[in-house]
Amino acid sequence: MTDKPKVGVYICHCGINISSTVDVEAVEEFALKLPSVKVARTYSYMCSDPGQALIKEDIKEQGLNRIVVASCSPRMHEPTFRKAIQEAGLNPYFLEMANIREQCSWVHEETEEATAKAKKLITASVAKVRLLEALEAKEVDAEPAALVIGAGIAGIQAALDIADAGFKTYLVEKTPSVGGRMAQLDKTFPTLDCSACILTPKMVDCASHPNIELLSYSEVEEIGGYIGNFDVKVRKKARYVDFDKCTGCGECAAECRVANRIPNEFDQGMGKRSAIYLPFPQAVPAKYTIDPENCLYLSKGKCGKSPKCQDVCGAEAINFEQEDEIVEFKVGAIIVATGFDPFDASRKPEYGYDDYPNVITGMEMERLVSASGPTGGKVMISNGEEEIEPKEIAFIKCVGSRDESVGNEYCSRVCCMYTAKQAHLIRDKLPDANIRIYYMDVRAFGKGYEEFYDRVRRENVRYIRGNPSEIFKRGNKLVVKAENTLTSTPVEDEVDMVVLGVGLEPRAEMRKVMDLLRLSQSPDKFFLEAHPKLRPVDTATDGVFLAGCCQGPKDIPDTVAQAKGAASSALIPLARGKVTIDAQVAEVNEATCRGCGFCVEICPYTAIEMTTVNRFGHEVEVARVNEALCKGCGSCSAACLSDSIQPKSFRDRQILPQIAALGVLK
Amino acid sequence: MDLEKLRETAAEVVAREDVKYLIGWKNGSYGYRVAPAFIEDAEGAAELIFSPLCISNLSTYLTLVEKLPLPRGQEPDTRKIALMVKGCDSRAVTQLLVEKGIERDGVVVIGCPCPGMIDYDLLAEKYPETEGLSEVKWTDDGFLVIRDGEETNVTRDELLAEKCRLCRYPNPLISDIMLGEPVETWEPAEDKGVEEVDKKDVNGRWAYWEEQFSNCIRCYSCRNVCPLCYCQDCILDRLNPTWVNRAVNFSENTAFNIARAFHLAGRCIECGECERVCPANIPLGRLNRKMAREVRDKYGFEPGLDPEAEPFQASYKPDDPEDFIL
Repeated sequence: MTDKPKVGVYICHCGINISSTVDVEAVEEFALKLPSVKVARTYSYMCSDPGQALIKEDIKEQGLNRIVVASCSPRMHEPTFRKAIQEAGLNPYFLEMANIREQCSWVHEETEEATAKAKKLITASVAKVRLLEALEAKEVDAEPAALVIGAGIAGIQAALDIADAGFKTYLVEKTPSVGGRMAQLDKTFPTLDCSACILTPKMVDCASHPNIELLSYSEVEEIGGYIGNFDVKVRKKARYVDFDKCTGCGECAAECRVANRIPNEFDQGMGKRSAIYLPFPQAVPAKYTIDPENCLYLSKGKCGKSPKCQDVCGAEAINFEQEDEIVEFKVGAIIVATGFDPFDASRKPEYGYDDYPNVITGMEMERLVSASGPTGGKVMISNGEEEIEPKEIAFIKCVGSRDESVGNEYCSRVCCMYTAKQAHLIRDKLPDANIRIYYMDVRAFGKGYEEFYDRVRRENVRYIRGNPSEIFKRGNKLVVKAENTLTSTPVEDEVDMVVLGVGLEPRAEMRKVMDLLRLSQSPDKFFLEAHPKLRPVDTATDGVFLAGCCQGPKDIPDTVAQAKGAASSALIPLARGKVTIDAQVAEVNEATCRGCGFCVEICPYTAIEMTTVNRFGHEVEVARVNEALCKGCGSCSAACLSDSIQPKSFRDRQILPQIAALGVLK
Repeated sequence: MDLEKLRETAAEVVAREDVKYLIGWKNGSYGYRVAPAFIEDAEGAAELIFSPLCISNLSTYLTLVEKLPLPRGQEPDTRKIALMVKGCDSRAVTQLLVEKGIERDGVVVIGCPCPGMIDYDLLAEKYPETEGLSEVKWTDDGFLVIRDGEETNVTRDELLAEKCRLCRYPNPLISDIMLGEPVETWEPAEDKGVEEVDKKDVNGRWAYWEEQFSNCIRCYSCRNVCPLCYCQDCILDRLNPTWVNRAVNFSENTAFNIARAFHLAGRCIECGECERVCPANIPLGRLNRKMAREVRDKYGFEPGLDPEAEPFQASYKPDDPEDFIL
């Protein structure tokens, strides 16, 4: 636009949020005197309909072509006002927000000083708004398909919802079976539903759903592209078993030469499996997999005269020649549901997890009480000398949670309840056992949780307030040393078994997913959502959503709720069929770019690539921005030594006058 | 080094069809002067020298070449440039490769293992320049200065350049042709220059640099000689926006020198050319070596060692130290 700038300044009272500290009338009077300002007004709520109408009317009647709204953070209402001025016929990017609330009225008390600061902030915005350029947002088509990474309950639920809405869904699971952590649990709090009973129907559904392509025993290798148009490459690892031929009969596993010799991951290593295995009886798909590290034939090249699994398999499904397969496809949206790792109890050596067999973790307890577990649901434990039925049982909560010494300040949100649940299950099986729970606090916040906690306490489970300092062995007993902080008395309890209520940690391997999708971590190291309150399932990468414990510790109801939220968010671009690409993206000055590629390396969104251009007869490499991927973050601009790449609307020539107007520069 | 061998090799290289010219050193016009030589034939190759006076870093010429607009239809000359490098110079070549300033196929690197260069100022002070050409040669334990036919043996310690005292890479790290055997590396001296500034408190350091930068005449020699300052359009020259004002005063001089130091952080290969050419004798080496030391200590990174390295300024690791951020 070549018209002379005619600026309107709109100062919001925000009820009394701004006007109680900032003298808005004085600011209005001041703004009118600023260069290019034709109109200045104040209003109680500029974001309200009448407030927006004020702006629209002035644009039409006074011929304004640049708008400054002095109110709250642009994160709140920039889209509102952009839309408003667009409706009045202006380019939506001819808007500048002066944040006189979060950055002024809320953080100052003195009216005089706050007013002076508001004046400066508006002066700066007026200086910048005059130099803004007209930008056009673009639309591109979206691929009507989704990728879900991780097939625990979060991934399964999200995939089912998207598939039910009629879109193709690729569900990628690293392990041989879907189900995730929930499949390992015995009962679920507070209703005591059998975890497998409520989960398996969903597992079966997602395998048989016509819109879901289940890629189990597979890992995502590469993700390129952007919202609406992600290019995905998945490695289907070799199972060494023909997927279509295997009937899941299990004869191979029974005959395997290393049968019952390999710790079973599903049972937390407490049970044993063969080298060819089904992770657990209800596994989906019900297809066997050979673990190449433990299979004699694959690791040593020799298994007796011939591999027994091959001999007994009537379907002739065993194929030692099988190789990894790469599958490529396009999706419009991605849901990350990679789950959590239980806290490694060895990191609290004072609890002796590595030293005593009768110190176990909550996850191990789940398997121990489960009817499908290694003991068939009988609570038996070795005290180092013999297998016994424990009479004295201690639970310790907050192991690896709310603990700065291991770097986890957060609450894992499930341990209070799963400990209570496990205490209840043990009470059921061992009515005479003495059960103690050592706790810091009890957080029973969910629906029905407090009631459940009360019920467990009435079942003769003793809650002792105090975090044990040490566990050591005395005879064939374990001694739990603690201080009862309610009575201020030291306690030393002799027990047969200790269950550590381990917390939830981010996946050790999450780095890989982070790099694939350019995701960030919050201070607790879980994946960072776009906004903790208003965009809890979104990420900074458009089209990528979070579900379940990869974003932070969650119980099953919250996980399912978030998965459904992520699914509905992912459905927006798929259902619309189009995505809008923001116009405030970086642009390269190809005439001055020296082609060093620093911006390519530093871009968190892989939005920049090198391209060859002809500069007066010479082929030279310069950077080029993929506008669909660029988020306008400006990292490239900071890295560029020749200042040849800058985000539109945040160019040096637009920002420096803004800074100068603040009186910082001479 | 065997000069005959050097000249013979150079003649062979420039005779190659895919080589445009060779950049090396030749004698200057008087005294200890050495000039850059752009050799295109055997005759030129016969003038090449390699002596303790060849301190200048010729790799800067790789990016100084101006790519003039070509008449329509004319193909650009894409022949290789051959370049003589010492250890330090070779790091500049590597860093240029990292930054895509040059292509590996576009250069023929002729490595010259370097026993250490002479500090010209020290030399000229003790043994003043002559009208005719003087010569300096390496001896087993120092240098032999030949002025007007008069030979003087000088110990290494007496005349060795500061950057060579600190040198950790006297042998070229990258080369296509290596002339002679690698030299034995020596224990780098303590960087007393940097330490002298470092041990001052913050006010002391400011006062020190204030004094130094006040002397700057903004001739931009440091920038122009630097092999890694090769933006065709330097932001410090721009008018809109004006990052650095044209005025020569302490404030603008400081802005210029600090901007340059930051632009070189993790890129400077410590060839010392900026300080050598500075007509105001500003100890720019101290500034750049300080930055290099910080990068080395905090991030374990040294530029110019690995052509496949990620450029330091464009790399990020989640565990990068940030304790120095206020």
